[in-house]
Amino acid sequence: MAHRYDTRTTIFSPEGRLYQVEYAMEAISHAGTCLGILSSEGVVLAAEKISTAKLLDMSSSAEKIFKLDEHVACSVAGITADANILVNYLRLTAQRHYLTYQEPIPLERLITLVCDVKQAYTQYGGMRPFGTSLIFMGWDRHFGFQLYRSDPSGNFGGWKATCTGSNSQSAESILKSEYKEECTLEEALLLAVKVLNKTMDSTKLTAERLEFATMTKDENGRPTYSVLTPERVGQLLKQGEEIRKQEEEEEKRKKEEQARQARERKKELQAKTGPSSASSS
Amino acid sequence: MDFLIALVGKDFVLTAADSASARSIMRMKSDMDKMIPLSSHALMLLAGPVGDCSNFGDYIQANLKLQALTNGFEASTHATANYVRKNIADALRSRGAYQVNSLIAGVDEQDGPSLYYLDYLGTMVKVPYGAHGYGSFFTFATLDHHYREGMSLEEATDVLKKCFLEIKTRFLMNLDSFKVRVVDADGIREVEVAQP
Amino acid sequence: MAFEFGGMPQFEAATCAHRSTSKALVKHNAGADVDEDEQQFTGPVPMFSLPRTDNPSEFLHQYSDANPDSKVKIQFAHGTTTLGFKFQHGVIIAVDSRASAGSYIASQTVKKVIEINPYLLGTMAGGAADCSYWERVLAKECRLFELRNGERISVAAASKILANIVYHYRGMGLSMGTMICGWDKKGPGLFYVDSDGTRLTNNLFSVGSGSTYAYGVLDAGYRWDLSVEEAHELARRAIYHATFRDAYSGGHINLYHMKETGWERILNMQDVGPLHYEYEAMKEQSMATTAD
Repeated sequence: MAHRYDTRTTIFSPEGRLYQVEYAMEAISHAGTCLGILSSEGVVLAAEKISTAKLLDMSSSAEKIFKLDEHVACSVAGITADANILVNYLRLTAQRHYLTYQEPIPLERLITLVCDVKQAYTQYGGMRPFGTSLIFMGWDRHFGFQLYRSDPSGNFGGWKATCTGSNSQSAESILKSEYKEECTLEEALLLAVKVLNKTMDSTKLTAERLEFATMTKDENGRPTYSVLTPERVGQLLKQGEEIRKQEEEEEKRKKEEQARQARERKKELQAKTGPSSASSS
Repeated sequence: MDFLIALVGKDFVLTAADSASARSIMRMKSDMDKMIPLSSHALMLLAGPVGDCSNFGDYIQANLKLQALTNGFEASTHATANYVRKNIADALRSRGAYQVNSLIAGVDEQDGPSLYYLDYLGTMVKVPYGAHGYGSFFTFATLDHHYREGMSLEEATDVLKKCFLEIKTRFLMNLDSFKVRVVDADGIREVEVAQP
Repeated sequence: MAFEFGGMPQFEAATCAHRSTSKALVKHNAGADVDEDEQQFTGPVPMFSLPRTDNPSEFLHQYSDANPDSKVKIQFAHGTTTLGFKFQHGVIIAVDSRASAGSYIASQTVKKVIEINPYLLGTMAGGAADCSYWERVLAKECRLFELRNGERISVAAASKILANIVYHYRGMGLSMGTMICGWDKKGPGLFYVDSDGTRLTNNLFSVGSGSTYAYGVLDAGYRWDLSVEEAHELARRAIYHATFRDAYSGGHINLYHMKETGWERILNMQDVGPLHYEYEAMKEQSMATTAD
């Protein structure tokens, strides 16, 4: 039945679904993981690059995180070609706003505008939705540091920590349990590493496959966008690894302790009731 | 023949405009309001052909209202003034310009009080005090001499009264009634200033 | 290239109304038919046939008396006296009836009050054709408003429609100075609208070459609490004095009284000639009594 409603432009199926939009979201769920975390000192974006070809020239390192203006950047998950169109539109829109108001565009306004475009592509004839989910980070004078996520339907929302792409559900559950309000930027970076550690194949977790960027404020209170160097990312991964090991050891020790305690309790029990009852259990 | 004037005080902007509506050599109306609120804390004073002023004023006001609604907050005075300037400049380079000179007075939570002077060619300057019309020729010297940074409302009103008096004394035309408004943290309000 | 959406509706903030009109004009000049749907889209601004030239106002200008080099000199009718005032019993509208083209009196029997509907009147000063055409368009818009909304249009709204129309045509040679008067929920209404796009409301207006003379009489005798008879007489006298001094005003007086129940015609083409002798006689009489 579905095939009658999913091969042409986006129209409702009898069940009230928009298959093309759902397929676009499916396209995203195969893309490299992207995540964003809000901290008290700034915002972190992290993205996993899925580069397969050995011969691909990787001289341009930025592939998944784009600076849109001095105060706003986004990471993309999904079809990169579609994303490039949106990134161009976002940069243009931000500059148009600056031209008119001589003031940086407020984040929510920028995101609303790009989401209007995304929505239009789910409704007009002859169009295919953008197979792209965007995570925005930025700062404006109205609401300070902010983090948003948008999807192909044109929906968007503000988040404290969010992610998209492959394994995003498990990543989200880690974020949900581990995110601390008012954490430092360093803590946010390490949390990002931790999430990626659990969602990505550990053999693939290398600095070359990851992109990290932050939005912070400089000493003059102006928003600053910076991309983390591969060395810094490597350092973070090492730190993450150490923490992971520490936690594992901690876990192990805890388990051993528990086991020891259990043994001791058992012994005590045996001493009290005698060996006969122990054998019966 | 319109006369607009405004000056920035400690935490407010004091503005005034004459209330005559002239057509050729005639006064058509004596209770004209030449100010239009652009937000709860920004006021635009307009001088020029009545049709241009009312159409341009309404257009800007409506667009800024729409933006406030979509953004969830009102634009800063800086953004408002630049938006107005852009519209004047764009119209100038298309069919039919708006021949409006304006002053934009506003008070922001973050930036405090500010005043922008705009002419119909799209010039924009942030100023501590400004005036438009023939009246400006008579009042700028008074403002230059008496204006002080961080004046109280009472002090600013005294300077304004000196300007009114100069106009009454030296200007050929009979500009006898002015509307005076203050923009401050509480918003926009009309104040009674005894006319000379 | 910038990212644009070809063929897709643009979602923009309130667009400047005159832009949409200028688009429509270009289309019309190109000789394309304008269908009703498109008219609906551009709002209450009707299409208007224009000479098929790049700039209609320049085209017209070269044949008017403003161009000294042209052998063809069209002189547009400008002379007029019209007045209107609000008072406790409603609105009074009074006009003369002369149409002039340069020094030539083209007519002494022009109707300068346009009866838009039983509750709206418009006066005519400036270009006679412009006024009567656009006020008929206004009549159409007001009737459509009634049908769509099931109630009469306010005077403010009616005058705003006219002001918006003429503002869209600013700089294109329209010449109009009109008063729109009526009665609505707010009571008596009086608005001045001219081809510069000016729209004002006040208790008292006079428009046309004779308006300065009429103002002289009106300002001296006007009060809010005039009686009906006093108001009629004040308006009649103001028009008479204007026709006496202004060479471009004359003919007859038409006088209307707008009440809660709609307008009533009080004076129907009263000749200012005999009126002159009436007023002269009254003056002589009063001079005689003061001499006594």
